[in-house]
Amino acid sequence: MTAIALRMTGADFLKIRKKRGTLIWALVLALAPIIVFLTVKAIQHSSDPHKYGPAGGTTGFSDGLRVLALFFDPLAVILIGVEAGTGDASAGVFRDLVVTGRSRLALFASRVPAALALSWLITIGGFALLTAGIFVLAGNLPTPDGALILNGLGFAMLAAGVVCVVAVGFASLTTSKPASITALIGWQLVASPLLAQISSLGNYRDGLLSQAIAHFSPVHVGGGGHGATVTMSQGTALLVMVAWLAIFLALGAWRTNRMDA
Amino acid sequence: MAPPAHDQGPDLPGSGSPEGRLAVETRGLVKCFGRRTAIDQVDLRVPRGCAFGFLGPNGAGKTTMIRMLLGLTRATSGSMSVLGRPVPAQRAEALERVGAIVEEPRFHPHLSGRENMQIIAAVRGPEADARIDPALRRVGLGDRAHEKVRKYSLGMRQRLGVARCLLADPLLLILDEPTNGLDPGGIQEFREMIRVMVEQEGRTVFLSSHLLDEVEKTCDAAAIVDRGKVITQGPIAEISRGGDGVRDELLVGVDDVELALQTLAGSELVREAQASEDGIRLVLAGAPETAAAVNAALVHAGIGVLRLEPVRHSLEQRFLEITARLDEAPGDGSSSAAQEEVRT
Repeated sequence: MTAIALRMTGADFLKIRKKRGTLIWALVLALAPIIVFLTVKAIQHSSDPHKYGPAGGTTGFSDGLRVLALFFDPLAVILIGVEAGTGDASAGVFRDLVVTGRSRLALFASRVPAALALSWLITIGGFALLTAGIFVLAGNLPTPDGALILNGLGFAMLAAGVVCVVAVGFASLTTSKPASITALIGWQLVASPLLAQISSLGNYRDGLLSQAIAHFSPVHVGGGGHGATVTMSQGTALLVMVAWLAIFLALGAWRTNRMDA
Repeated sequence: MAPPAHDQGPDLPGSGSPEGRLAVETRGLVKCFGRRTAIDQVDLRVPRGCAFGFLGPNGAGKTTMIRMLLGLTRATSGSMSVLGRPVPAQRAEALERVGAIVEEPRFHPHLSGRENMQIIAAVRGPEADARIDPALRRVGLGDRAHEKVRKYSLGMRQRLGVARCLLADPLLLILDEPTNGLDPGGIQEFREMIRVMVEQEGRTVFLSSHLLDEVEKTCDAAAIVDRGKVITQGPIAEISRGGDGVRDELLVGVDDVELALQTLAGSELVREAQASEDGIRLVLAGAPETAAAVNAALVHAGIGVLRLEPVRHSLEQRFLEITARLDEAPGDGSSSAAQEEVRT
């Protein structure tokens, strides 16, 4: 990355980081579910220790990782990705950036690492909270070893990163923050899980991003191979993720390059 | 108009070529939106080192023209260059030393004035960082730079917009209706700042406005644009006089108007004379110094001369004359004829 690209990425990071509403909501979505999850399990355990095990330990880690990486953290990073993709256009500043003579593709490209950096910081925060919780609340259960924790962190960052980049591309394509948030969260929460359950779709379900991501989970998160609802090979899952990234990055770049500033 | 002499230094791109002596040049520029022609065969020449007014009523095509020069929208046909570089072919190099405000200046409202400057400085390059504080101080925002832009008044945003332009250390500033939202004091300060930029710093300012008074008081030269066409362009004084450069008029107050008209009717000193509310309005046949001879002739004829003053031609008067002629001319063809008539 060149010096100017680093400076532009830093500027984009500043824009998103200072967007207080977006940041607060992203933090709430990443952290609050972990707190609620651990608290509820701890209360259940303390109220009936024979029926409910401790909140922490390896079991708590698996459940918590699923809550974080596959459900709520993607929502948090969607907010960040959309902010990165639409911030300049919605503030009307894109025009002022273009008249500097800097290429539009460079302006688009700097959004991606900036959004990724903030998304990963939030993901790491959520993961750190989960890890601390499962050790503190482990009771007599075994705790995950270092390798599993590192794999879990890598998986959470992979999931956050892929969804974030797709969100940047999609938001740059639509240039509308409300439309992008509605569409992406609707897809993530409703459409994608629904489609994954429709077995008559057969192999077409391999194209679902959330299913492809789930195949890289280090813990069991569902009924399919490697823990996903839909069964597919690791190679197919990787291809699906790359395809989603390539398509939405290309669409976002194309729109940024062509749009009337 | 003679742009002030200044040292533009060796870093002027293309300053050696004929095109390089112009800050902006367009040839046969056309922009169509569907079937509507917004810019119609515009040939514009903006010399370096002057304040150039781009004057026209709302909807005349001023902003469209600026947007094409800055590469924000593509021309349908024709060619253009900015600081000697063809646009859009060498757009990045052309805009490296250009600062621009298009329509109203916009910012990230959740960031402070300084942070908004940092955003643009990051895109401009490392040398722009050092210009942030001087630029903020120059526009009078040094003490308010830490406040969020959402708390700024429109006038403060305009000033921040100018500061943002200065991050490029611009050879050319393109300002679209820059005094919108400024109070009278702010407008005066703005005019002075433009003049300093032009006269002391050798920058070129391309100022688009529908305010005739603003252009007349701020600019050295101007182009009048209407309905997508440049009707006339040149030094302000020449445009105001009507372009022939010899139309010196006098307003003469006399005690006997009838006798004065008879006296002047046969005089070689006067091209035309007619009674007006203030006395006699006449067009001199020769140089402005001929006014003394006219005075002598009237006194010699026994006419009491109460006052003798040159008629100041205003840009507003000229502008209204031009646009009135265009309004009177029916159809496009006649409109073109009217434009030819007034072209300087």
